[in-house]
Amino acid sequence: MAEDFIARAVSRPKGNHYEDFTIGRRFEHHWGRTINQGDNSLFTTLTLHYNPLYTNVEFARAHGHPDVVINPMLVFATVFGLSVEDLSEGGGAFLGVEALTFHAAVYPGDTLAARSTVVERRESASSKGMGIITWHTEGFNQQGVRVIDFKRTNLVNKRSPA
Amino acid sequence: MTTQQLTGRDNYFEDFVPGTVMRHARGKTVEALENVLITNLVMNTAQGHFNEHVMKDSRFGHRITFGGVTLSLVIGLAAQDTAENALAELSLDNIRFSAPVFHGDTLYAFSEVLAIGPSDRADAGIVTFRHWGVNQDEKVVFEGERRVLVKRRSHWVDK
Repeated sequence: MAEDFIARAVSRPKGNHYEDFTIGRRFEHHWGRTINQGDNSLFTTLTLHYNPLYTNVEFARAHGHPDVVINPMLVFATVFGLSVEDLSEGGGAFLGVEALTFHAAVYPGDTLAARSTVVERRESASSKGMGIITWHTEGFNQQGVRVIDFKRTNLVNKRSPA
Repeated sequence: MTTQQLTGRDNYFEDFVPGTVMRHARGKTVEALENVLITNLVMNTAQGHFNEHVMKDSRFGHRITFGGVTLSLVIGLAAQDTAENALAELSLDNIRFSAPVFHGDTLYAFSEVLAIGPSDRADAGIVTFRHWGVNQDEKVVFEGERRVLVKRRSHWVDK
């Protein structure tokens, strides 16, 4: 039967749950991401972020940069994106970010890597079957220089809802 | 053409007065163009942002916009007035997402100057803003604080 594959298929779920986030557990996130000029131009123009440091290389050079600067909001979104499968793909709303610092400029061709550490966990009073987790996430370039760090808080599904 | 001619003249450090609240000129309707493209571009794997079928059975009923996209759009809508003469983005804090953003929602940005202060360089100062993002019904969907290093007119224009 051609359709038999659906009945025979074994699911390959992704993501972690509340129970997986013990305080101090560290995740070295997958993939990494080399950011290129196309990424930066597309992101900056789609978000209407009109600072020529991100879109005019002569302007950026006149301000002491070797190339256009990668839009810091793209640096944030990329480091966040790399962390999602480990941290939040298991489900639950993204609640907020605290204490985000942009430590160093990122340039086209730089490769970002991300890691996170569990810093807080508690039960959710309002959402049954969920908890609230805070992670400290850090992004690094290919030289190991930390370019960003922040604390992110999400609602997180429990493995077996009460 | 000098670099100073490429950016506005009303958004240098000296122009920001604590307590001022700005309504930024343009809004933007969020579509898959922004949400799905940017979510996938940054390899955010949460399919609630890009799988309409699976979200039909959720409490939201539709794909929801990635908070990183909402944040970037609201700060982008505020950028010409609050970042055009910035030398660097320094930090973000107290970021909250208070309501979901769906494809078809239109975002508008508001900003308040919270504080101004010196930096470690003579040609620029630090401005702290509070930004709000609201949808077409003036419901707040995003709120957050942002510190930016902004050029001083005294050094960059009037020297």
